[in-house]
Amino acid sequence: MSSGEGPSDGEVVRRVLAGNVEQYAVLVRRYRDRYARYAARMLGSQDAAEDAVQDALVRAYDQLARCREPEKFAGWFFLILRNRCFAERRRRNREARPLGARDEAIAGSERSDGPVERADDRRTLERALERLTAEQRDVFVLKHVEELSYEEIAALTGASVPSLKMRMHRAYDRLRAELKELV
Amino acid sequence: MTEQYHPLIKQLLDGELALAELPPGLRAEGERALQLLAAVDRTPVVLPAAVDQRVMAQVRRRSSSPVGRAWRWLVRARDLDIRVRVRPWVVGLAAAAVLALAVVWPGSEVATSHAPVYVRFIFYAPSAHSVTIAGSFNQWDPGAAPLVPTATPGIWTTTLALPLGQHQYAFLVDGERWVVDPTAPSVDDGFGQHNSVVAVTSQDGGGRAL
Repeated sequence: MSSGEGPSDGEVVRRVLAGNVEQYAVLVRRYRDRYARYAARMLGSQDAAEDAVQDALVRAYDQLARCREPEKFAGWFFLILRNRCFAERRRRNREARPLGARDEAIAGSERSDGPVERADDRRTLERALERLTAEQRDVFVLKHVEELSYEEIAALTGASVPSLKMRMHRAYDRLRAELKELV
Repeated sequence: MTEQYHPLIKQLLDGELALAELPPGLRAEGERALQLLAAVDRTPVVLPAAVDQRVMAQVRRRSSSPVGRAWRWLVRARDLDIRVRVRPWVVGLAAAAVLALAVVWPGSEVATSHAPVYVRFIFYAPSAHSVTIAGSFNQWDPGAAPLVPTATPGIWTTTLALPLGQHQYAFLVDGERWVVDPTAPSVDDGFGQHNSVVAVTSQDGGGRAL
């Protein structure tokens, strides 16, 4: 990172590895919020995002010596956070339960015969997004929440553009089916 | 109405086409699809400053712990020559197996750390429609390495060029279900899940399943 203020990420990483642990706070402040929205949309809540970002920052510290390109700390940290989000979603999938009667009642209360309010649309979309796989939701969030291009997502994640597009297009189809069911 | 979006509507959602460029018959559905994207919540998320304090408290604890220091020394990036025993693998059982095939580039008696090793992964999944493998070697991209069905029903396989070292991986069945390799060792990923492990070494010219 070529930060306008303060030492570069690479410099901070080198200082931490040399034993100046307190310097890690610079990276924590710098990256606490940068990917928080990604984590919140991946996990469905700000509380879950807070836990994920916190865990990922501690894990990044534990693994800091494995960061082969300290100047690219931001991208490296994002991959740790992304893995954390994937693990959390897989854990939830394993413990997943089908929609219960109460959930169905809530879903039903959101139905509208008239023009649908934005807030209702948002809740309905969120419920549909919840049913995507972690990989589908990941690419959806990066493209439509973070508003990155496929090329930018590829650079960030290491995935190929065709593979990302395939995942995104499957996500569109799944959202379409889920929305048909929900609305 | 079909089960899937028309490819042109997917292009519209990707931002590669404008609504006016769609054939008239697709515009109504295109409009509904765009309405879906308009509902995406892009509100920035700002975490409380207490996160900083909690992270730094844990970091300080770890830095002062002998175990923490030993762990960071262990994980420090360095070239390692891993010698592992070949584990006998079982074919044809209702289980997955990972097979490391001999592989070094011609003439590389002493392989460098950059010489890739071809590793064949075999997975038994008789009812699967698709199987892919994702791991630390492909940034856990589930679309990067599909397995193909073999002539033997239920057996899927792929061969990947892996760099020397230890890699974690898992199989993804039908794009939804993650499965560890039951015949390979596994490690806790730190978040409550397990990943399989394969060690690739150039010793006597072959890869090794750990």
